[in-house]
Amino acid sequence: MMMMELRETCSDGPDRGYHGYQQSLRSRRGPSRMSRDGPPHLDLASSEDEDPPSRTPQKLAMPMGIKKAVRQLQHMQVPVSSKRTRHSRALKHFYAEAKETLAILIPWRKAIHKIGGHFGGGVQSYFVFLRFLVVLNFLSFLLIAGFVLIPSVVLSSPNNTPSIPNGTNITGKELCMKYDHSPEVLPVFYTFFLDLLSGTGFMEYTYLFYGYYSNTVAESKGVSYNVPLAYLLTASFYFLFCLVCIILRMGNVVRVLVTTGSGGERGYSARVFTDWDYGLQGDRATGLKQNTIRYRLQVDLEEDRIRLRAASLSPGQTVGLYALRALLNLVVIALIIAAFFGIAEATSFSQREAVKWTGVVGLLLEFLPSIVITASNFVVPFLCDQIARLEKLSPSTTVIVALLRAVFLRLVSLGVLLFTLWSQITCSGKADDTDCKICRYNSAQYQCWESRVGQEMYKLTLFDFLTTMVLLVLVEFPRRLLVDHCSCKLTRWVGRQEFLVPPNVLALVYGQTVVWTGALFCPLLPLINTIKFFIIFHCKKATLFQNCRPAIKSFRSTSSNFFFCLVLLFGWILSTVVLIYSMAEIHPSFGCGPFRFSPTMWSVIQASIDNLTKTTQDFFNIIGSLAFCVPLFLLSCVVLSYVAALASVYGKSVAILREQIKQDGRDKQFLVKQIKDLTRILGVPKHEEDQYDPGASWGDHHASASPPQYLPNVHSFPSASHY
Amino acid sequence: MGGAASQLPKEMVSEYQELTFLTKQEILLAHKRFSELQDRDSLSSRVPMEKILTMPELKSNPFRRRICHVFSTSEPNDGSLTFEDFLDLLSAFSDSATLEIKSHYAFRIFDFDDDGTLDAGDLEKLVNCLTGDTDETRLNPEEMRQLIKNILEESDIDKDGTVNLSEFQHVISRSPDFVSSFKIVL
Repeated sequence: MMMMELRETCSDGPDRGYHGYQQSLRSRRGPSRMSRDGPPHLDLASSEDEDPPSRTPQKLAMPMGIKKAVRQLQHMQVPVSSKRTRHSRALKHFYAEAKETLAILIPWRKAIHKIGGHFGGGVQSYFVFLRFLVVLNFLSFLLIAGFVLIPSVVLSSPNNTPSIPNGTNITGKELCMKYDHSPEVLPVFYTFFLDLLSGTGFMEYTYLFYGYYSNTVAESKGVSYNVPLAYLLTASFYFLFCLVCIILRMGNVVRVLVTTGSGGERGYSARVFTDWDYGLQGDRATGLKQNTIRYRLQVDLEEDRIRLRAASLSPGQTVGLYALRALLNLVVIALIIAAFFGIAEATSFSQREAVKWTGVVGLLLEFLPSIVITASNFVVPFLCDQIARLEKLSPSTTVIVALLRAVFLRLVSLGVLLFTLWSQITCSGKADDTDCKICRYNSAQYQCWESRVGQEMYKLTLFDFLTTMVLLVLVEFPRRLLVDHCSCKLTRWVGRQEFLVPPNVLALVYGQTVVWTGALFCPLLPLINTIKFFIIFHCKKATLFQNCRPAIKSFRSTSSNFFFCLVLLFGWILSTVVLIYSMAEIHPSFGCGPFRFSPTMWSVIQASIDNLTKTTQDFFNIIGSLAFCVPLFLLSCVVLSYVAALASVYGKSVAILREQIKQDGRDKQFLVKQIKDLTRILGVPKHEEDQYDPGASWGDHHASASPPQYLPNVHSFPSASHY
Repeated sequence: MGGAASQLPKEMVSEYQELTFLTKQEILLAHKRFSELQDRDSLSSRVPMEKILTMPELKSNPFRRRICHVFSTSEPNDGSLTFEDFLDLLSAFSDSATLEIKSHYAFRIFDFDDDGTLDAGDLEKLVNCLTGDTDETRLNPEEMRQLIKNILEESDIDKDGTVNLSEFQHVISRSPDFVSSFKIVL
């Protein structure tokens, strides 16, 4: 209370002087001196900086009887609720209602809220991320369907003979144009399933894969639609759209991170005093909120303990710990490189041998790369987790390190697969290799290489989905049944499943990267992925509630949201590299697809620009030329450096303000100490000292005794008003 | 089971509008809900705490008993509320109440032993209310001790081992979302 008084006084300015100090000091006595059974205390007190007569009784923290008495003493002319306050309140009400109605459109809102209450923010962030991916894939599918699929279906010509554009030289390339996709004459009955799973046979020459789309400019009823151009531009826009969505989401997450001060700045006292939401109704909502608060407190307390322990190590122990960590990182890198070799070998083996075998053996060989990738994605992270236990990092750091390692493994193993495919398709880039001389790609093995790449991605997606389902059904449910019904020591030691977020998130990111990589070659892959993620959402939710126990240790969800988006961005970058390389460098197949007879996919754009008017051509030429690009680049450098300077200035002001807050706290402590010392020195009688004592109880002080006594002492605080 | 719900006289409604932060509709709704809880329809009659706690807005709130005690003006302080106490309660928890009012009443609600400061016992009971007061949901004693130590370190400026009203208000003033969460609307 004293501090409040002094602070208010000091902010009044030097001109109020002694009298102002006295008056405001007297008027500050109210709220903490409210006597329950004594006479009503009529000091119109609050910590606001107003003169006493104009205080409205509304703002008194007292019972209604006292407020009525106060009101009778005042002559109130001011209207209570002016028009402006009524308008602003109505506006606030309207915004709240609008937000409520819009929130209904978001799918699975209640389910995710329930998950957050039972299992904490970390698990909830996984499901929020999954929901984001489902929506992203669905919108992408709508984009592709609208611009590529539906025009192709509607405007397709009855005869699918490829139209050879004028001016292309195809002499000697008849071999390349051969594309044999029709199914076998006498298919065995199980061929249907094999083809369904691996995308070959009857499924190859459908809208599912690149090879089916025609390269004609489809014309129907006077509307002409350039299918190849649409295909290319849709693929590019699809990638840009995904990038924009990811960056918007990252921006939201970063904003939350920055405003909450990355969680650590908001101290325990602020959370304990302000976290409860008094508007919650019902036992269920209250229970959820209590669970959330408890999880967060426990996680933060644990992190503090670990930090204290780490800070208390001796130098020798610290050096030992770091050396151990370096060694373990080397082990992890060795494991990952071993996995890469395995994948490369499996891919080249599969590509060579799979065509020679049919039936189930052929299917296994087709799926060999997927099997090896999935196996390494299980084994290596498991080993890394065991290694991470020896490293003794804090929980959130452990999670981030595990996530980064597993991301590296997953994405680069996909990259190894793609690299192996590339080296087989283009004979490792050697244009004058015997196989690749005529058609500039390996036409003996790959009559339609884009469809083959699309099939690989399709197989990867499917296998990933099957693995998830099989694990759910064959591992998690039986584990719960075993633990619940059989109480031997082994089951009690193993216990129920705990829902681990990082491996699950990585599975999602991996699946999404595969879809992005394959979207150019298999346009319906986003639709398949939407359905796959939708089913996975419901299955994971079911297994969460049925089989998993709440995590004893959970981790911070705000920073993990940011990392999920970051690893998704890595995946996007990988697939963009693949896209750009395929579009610009590799020769499209002669036998199939909308880009046959073009030297590269990108040349379609050049050809269509040539068809535009001269001014448009000049416009594009100017944009593409150096005279435009170099000044644009310089301008963007200037803008970038300005924004960077602005950001650093803001960062510095934030740091200065934080320092100032800490300094204020220290000043207050100093002043309080000063006051205590001075009151002791000046020998203020004991019952007056109680007035400064924060520990005085509510009811044992009478109003009348207070003001006059300490005035002489106030006079001898010369330094107080100078702060 | 109240009798015929009599209307509040207009002058009283406007008087309450001036003395609280509630709008006219909120006051009339409060009167309606309060009469449903009462047996007789008289403004000075008290509703016992058990009946107040049957309201859905308060039924699951972990601080419900403290709220009734804080706003009750009865002599034995048994938590029973008159209609005016009820209006005081709603006013403090309303949309337009100021930060000072809310933080003042929040402090009194958290002061479980009513001694004017938040000491370690009050803080422990407060944390138990926040996490749930059953054996599975309480923090273990080690964590509780660490938490209370951290709280006092952060907010006890004069180092007397307790948090007084101004220290409490200092912490609250740096939390922008306190005003929106300290809200009960009928």
